[in-house]
Amino acid sequence: MIPLPTIDACLKCNICTAACPVAAVSDAFPGPKAVGPQAQRFRHPRLQLSERSIALCSGCGVCSRVCPHGVAVADVNIVAKAHYAQQSGVPLRDHIISRPATLARLARPLAGLANLSLRLRPIRQTMELLLGVASEAPLPPFAPRTLRRQLADRCVIADRIPRLPADTIAYFHGCSSQHYEPHIGIMTVHLLEQLGFNVVLPPQTCCGLPLQSNGLLDAARRYARKNAGSLAPVIEAGIPIVGTSTSCTLALKHDYRSILDLRSETFDALAESTFDLFEFLLWRASDRLPRLECQALSARALYHPPCQLRLHGVGTPALEVLQHIPGLEILVSEHECCGVAGTYGLKRERYDTARQVGSPLFQQAQSAEVDFLITDSETCRWWLNAHTGLPAYHPVEVIAMAIGLQVPCPTRNAP
Amino acid sequence: MKHLIVVGAGLTGLFAAALAAARGARVTLVARGRGSLALSHGCIDLWATKSPSRSIRRLRHPHPYALAGGFPRLQSALADFIYLLDRQGIEYHGAPSRNHRLITALGTAHLTALAPFSLAAGDLNRAEPIVVAGFEGFFDFSPHLVASGLQRQGADIQDCLTLPLIELPPGRERFATDLARLFETPEWRRELARSWKPRLTGVRHLALPAVLGLEHNFIVWQELQDLLALTISEIPTLPPSLPGIRLERALRRSLSSAGVQIIEGSRAVGRVDGRSGGQLVSGVVLQTAGGPRLIAADAVILATGGVLNGGLVFHEDGRVQESVFDLPVAHDDDRTRWLGSDPFGSHPYALFGLHVDQHMRPLGANAKPAFENLFAAGSLLAGADRSREGSRQGIDLATAHCAVEAALA
Repeated sequence: MIPLPTIDACLKCNICTAACPVAAVSDAFPGPKAVGPQAQRFRHPRLQLSERSIALCSGCGVCSRVCPHGVAVADVNIVAKAHYAQQSGVPLRDHIISRPATLARLARPLAGLANLSLRLRPIRQTMELLLGVASEAPLPPFAPRTLRRQLADRCVIADRIPRLPADTIAYFHGCSSQHYEPHIGIMTVHLLEQLGFNVVLPPQTCCGLPLQSNGLLDAARRYARKNAGSLAPVIEAGIPIVGTSTSCTLALKHDYRSILDLRSETFDALAESTFDLFEFLLWRASDRLPRLECQALSARALYHPPCQLRLHGVGTPALEVLQHIPGLEILVSEHECCGVAGTYGLKRERYDTARQVGSPLFQQAQSAEVDFLITDSETCRWWLNAHTGLPAYHPVEVIAMAIGLQVPCPTRNAP
Repeated sequence: MKHLIVVGAGLTGLFAAALAAARGARVTLVARGRGSLALSHGCIDLWATKSPSRSIRRLRHPHPYALAGGFPRLQSALADFIYLLDRQGIEYHGAPSRNHRLITALGTAHLTALAPFSLAAGDLNRAEPIVVAGFEGFFDFSPHLVASGLQRQGADIQDCLTLPLIELPPGRERFATDLARLFETPEWRRELARSWKPRLTGVRHLALPAVLGLEHNFIVWQELQDLLALTISEIPTLPPSLPGIRLERALRRSLSSAGVQIIEGSRAVGRVDGRSGGQLVSGVVLQTAGGPRLIAADAVILATGGVLNGGLVFHEDGRVQESVFDLPVAHDDDRTRWLGSDPFGSHPYALFGLHVDQHMRPLGANAKPAFENLFAAGSLLAGADRSREGSRQGIDLATAHCAVEAALA
């Protein structure tokens, strides 16, 4: 009905430039309009890209969200940035940080030692020197046991899926719950089970978003096809796929189709079956929410909706659900982005820009005198925790506190 | 408590949502993108004559002002608007009885009824000698263009200069928003004022591009006036335009403190309540990044804007569509008749839009309200040539006010 939004719909109004959190702090970045709809006219698959400033785009997507004319500015820029990275050569560091699952698998046998060394300054300084991973940037500790090992009884194989009972949910845990924060996955499964759902963990791999952000589009496509294949029986059985990492679920919903250009009925069906946990609770399970017995939590918190959640176009469902917890006072972030944007803030040459992007949010958090921060995305949580010193929880951790669900977290003090 | 959906986040949608929340409704604001306030001068234009109130009182149906309740409606809407913005720290000056004559970046006089304090300070009706100044390295504003234009209109232009900005590292082209952030740094602006002072002896009124701060506009403006001992007024620049951005942020702050739920980034498609025999709408379906999500409500207000904002879609074959409920749009099917011959004259397409009743309910094919609980406001409405009349924001506020009262009745 409405013509497809293209760069031709761009009126050059600069609203995206005014909203861009990177352009606000960096003189070197000419803003999303200049590197996107404007520069795109001079790009050709067989021509060298000349403008280096595209590499400064963090991929937060604020530009797409604010465009009054429906131009997918961020999609244009993420693809152009990937082409630029391929052309100029993807550094070794970016190959490493874009494979969190591989990294965790290698480190797990020595998790204790690996976690200890990541806390040692000389080691981090050496990593910065040799690899270019900013020594101040927070890196998550590896969990000693993966989520799938802890929930082995809920892991299913493809041929069992068609026989699963009604009210089954497939949990897409992503790398963070699988390798770094299994307690979040366990809380999610318990919460959904308390609401009467049957939860399974279908076979899955990393969503591929870090690869995509670092210019490794072909590798990201391989991951995407693998996930689409292993989740196909779930989708065919009409089972919703629910995730707790808002960037993974965004990849499944949007990036596979619009950025990796994987357009087929399979990927449409995957997108339509995917939900963020709180989006699911609000739209598909709101009638069951009164079953939860929430105790009062006398606390004051600041909720920051991550950029990647905002791109889902579903508002802030976690906020809607958490507001029902008695005694919990929730302030809402006034800022677009915390700065880290996935792996952007981990890079030596981007760390300062990322910190400056986040600095107004850090200040809001510190001056608001809150007990803790709440945000859905794992990288935002690690980053905000490192820069404010305040605990930063996933919304499901806050629900767990309110319903008295205790899950030990070996890598961090449980809330 | 009634649940109201407002579709659109421009001036009309933000004002409607804030007003409805203040009157105790549960409000969900749904928007595909940010509205176009960042392109706007941030003033409230009512009618481009010397006395807007007199002109508006003469209007009859189907002008949206007349349908919304005429001048009394506009007065209530303006009172609510001024109160709302005052609570968010932006004082609007003026009255509908007499227009300000404000300076534009093209050197013309802009007739507007309400203006934020720092713009109102530049009212040409005051007839005091003005020095227009731009900044070195800021290309979105030419003081010479402003001064020569104003001189042609007989304004008292004392001088026109380009002031230096201290310690600006070499970098990309500066936008108004970049400079606004710099002006929010207290030490920087104090040093700047010290460096300007010797160049500004004998100046009583200094007109500058509107870049004097974002959140702390009042403090920046006040402090610079004190340090330089003169009157400072701001002139809106090319987009991104600070007075519009400040207005947008103030309205959004008031929504956030009133607990309005905001859902951005998804297109809304209207949903008709099947059980009502086509009499009622049940809400909107959002086309999200994943699947469609239904939001049910007791009433829906469309504030999606005209052709530039996606509320109306003009097709090459001459069809004109309303984008959410596919409502009938008053228009000419012959595309060759959409434009007039004089680019600065009147254009028939400007009058296209939705016909509504006195409760701002869009009319269906039989000239009766299409749905009992669907309302429309702002640039989506037919019957006004906003650019010619200079009536855009006044119509936005008056029709939003009328729609909210009707929706919550």
